[in-house]
Amino acid sequence: MAGAALAKRDDGLRRPWGTISAFLLPALAVYAALTAYPAFRTLWNSFHEVLPRRETFIGLANYAELARDEIYWKAVQNTFVWAFASPLIEVSVALLLALALYAKVPGARFFRIAWFTPVLMSYIVVGILWAWIYNYDWGPINVALRFVGLDSLARPWLGDPDTALPALIFVTSWMWVGFNMVVLLAALHSLPREVIEAAELDNCGWGGKLVFVILPMVRATVLNLVILSFIGKMKIFDLVWITTKGNPLWSTETVSTYVYKRAFEWTTFDLGYPSTIATVWFVIVLAAVLVLTRVFRLREKLEY
Amino acid sequence: MAALRKSILLLLLTGYTMFAAGPFVWVAMMSLRTTTEIHHDHFGFPDPAHWNKYPDAWFNSNYATYFANSTQIVVAAVILVTLIGAMAAHCLARYRFRLNRVIYFVLFSTIIFPPQITIISLFQILVQYGLYNSKIGLMLVYVAIQLPLTIYILESFFARIPSDLFDAARMDGYSDWEIFWKVAFPIALPAITTTVILNFILLWNEFLFAVVLITEEANRTLPLGIQRFIGDTQEDIGMIATGLMIAIIPVIVIYAFFSEKLIQGMTAGAVK
Repeated sequence: MAGAALAKRDDGLRRPWGTISAFLLPALAVYAALTAYPAFRTLWNSFHEVLPRRETFIGLANYAELARDEIYWKAVQNTFVWAFASPLIEVSVALLLALALYAKVPGARFFRIAWFTPVLMSYIVVGILWAWIYNYDWGPINVALRFVGLDSLARPWLGDPDTALPALIFVTSWMWVGFNMVVLLAALHSLPREVIEAAELDNCGWGGKLVFVILPMVRATVLNLVILSFIGKMKIFDLVWITTKGNPLWSTETVSTYVYKRAFEWTTFDLGYPSTIATVWFVIVLAAVLVLTRVFRLREKLEY
Repeated sequence: MAALRKSILLLLLTGYTMFAAGPFVWVAMMSLRTTTEIHHDHFGFPDPAHWNKYPDAWFNSNYATYFANSTQIVVAAVILVTLIGAMAAHCLARYRFRLNRVIYFVLFSTIIFPPQITIISLFQILVQYGLYNSKIGLMLVYVAIQLPLTIYILESFFARIPSDLFDAARMDGYSDWEIFWKVAFPIALPAITTTVILNFILLWNEFLFAVVLITEEANRTLPLGIQRFIGDTQEDIGMIATGLMIAIIPVIVIYAFFSEKLIQGMTAGAVK
C-alpha cells in the first residue's frame, strides 16, 4: 500500500487513468446497464411489434399510428396543462407565503415546518385522502357548499370531466406549495439586508420593494423552482393512478398513465407501441425543457 | 395599525396552516372511529377512540411485510447510490481529464428523463435476467434512477473543498482511495447526509417503478401495499383511514425529530 502511494505521489499531477476509471466505473456501469441501454432499447422497440417471444420489424408504423391516436394527444394536452399551470400556482402562492413569513410574524418557524409536511407523503396517501375530500356525498368541499346553500355547485369533483383535471392540479399544488415556500424563504433570508434597508430609507413602499428590489434578486431561485415543478409534472403518474386512472373520458389521462396502460394493462401485449409513445414523449420533454431554459436565459440578457 | 395588519396576516397564515394540515387531522380522527360512526357523521370527534383499530389493521394486512420490504430495498439502494455517487462525484470534482465535463453532463442530464423512456425496457431486461418481481431488481433500478441527482448535489459540494487539503494528504502518503475515503468523504458528510435523506424519502414513496416491476404480494413495497390494502378493504373507510395513518405516522414522527434536516434534504436540489 505504502509503495503504491509512493509511486503515485510522483505522477499525481499526471492523469492517473487507472484511479479515475476505478472511481467512475461503478457509476458508469449502473448508468450504462440501467439507463442508457434501456433507453436505446426503447428506441429500438419503437420500430417493432414486441410480443412476448416475438419481435417483428414494422418500420414507422407505430409512429404513424401515434400521430392518429387521439387519446395520446389528449394525454399530451392534459400533461402540458398540468406542467404549465402547476409552476405558476405553486411558485406564486409560495412567494406570497414566503414574504408573509419573511415579515417576521410570530411562529414563523412553526408555520414553515407545518406547511412543508404534505410533500413528505407519498402520492398514494395524498391521492386517497383527496379522493375523500372530493367525495360527492360526504366530502368536506361539497358538505361546505351545501351548508352555505350552494347545492348547485356541489359535484363529484373527480367524476366530472370538466373539473377532474383542475381538481388534481389543485392537489399537487397543495402538496408542493410548502416546498417552494421553504426554498424561496431561504433565498429571501440570504439577501443582503443592507439593500432592503436602503430601499426602505428611500421611502420605497412594500409593493415597490417587492417588484424592484426583492423579486429581481430571487429570480434565479424562482426560475429554478419553475423548471423543477415543470419537470415533475411532466412525469406525473402516481396521483392520477390512485385517484382517477385517467377517467372520466380521458380528462385526466397523462402521458405516463397512458404508456402504463398500453404496456401493462391493455391486452394487446405489444410493448412496441408504448415504446413509441415513450420515445416521442422523451423528445417532447427534452425540447420543452431546452426551450424553457432558453427563454429564461434570454430574458436575463434583456433585463441586465 | 401595525398590530391590526399583523393580526390579519396571522389569521391568513393560520388559515393556510389549517388548509395544509387539515386533511391529516381529518384522517387521523377517522382512523380512530368505526365506519358506522363515520357514516353517521364524517367530521365527528373520535369519542370513544377505538385504538384497537390500529392492531386490527396491522394484523389483518401484510403491513409488516410491506414495511420490511420497503426498508430492505430503500436502505440497500440508498447505501449503494451514496457510495457509487460519491465516488463518481469526487472523481469528477477532483481529477482533471478530458471527457470530464462530458461524463458529468451525460450523467446529470438524465435528471430530466421521463421515466417511460426506460421503464418498458427495464421490465423486459429484468424479466430476461430473472430479476423481475425481485427486491434486488427493484433496488438496482432505484440506484440507477437516483444516481444523477446524487452526483449532481455531491459534485458541487466536493468541488468546493480546497485542493490544498488533498495535496497535503498526498504528501502524507495517502493513496487516492484513502484520500477519498478518509479526507473527502468525512468533509462532505453534511452534503452526503442531505442526499441520503433526499434519496430515502423519494424512494420510500416511489410508486411507478414498483408497480411495474413487482407483482408478488411477498415483495410489495409500502406504497404498493397501501394500494393493495385499499383494494381489499373496499368501502370500509374507517379501516382505510387507519391503514393510511399507519403509513403517515412514521413519517410524521421522524419529521418531528429531524424537521430541519429533512427540509434541508428535500430542498437540496432546488436551492441555488
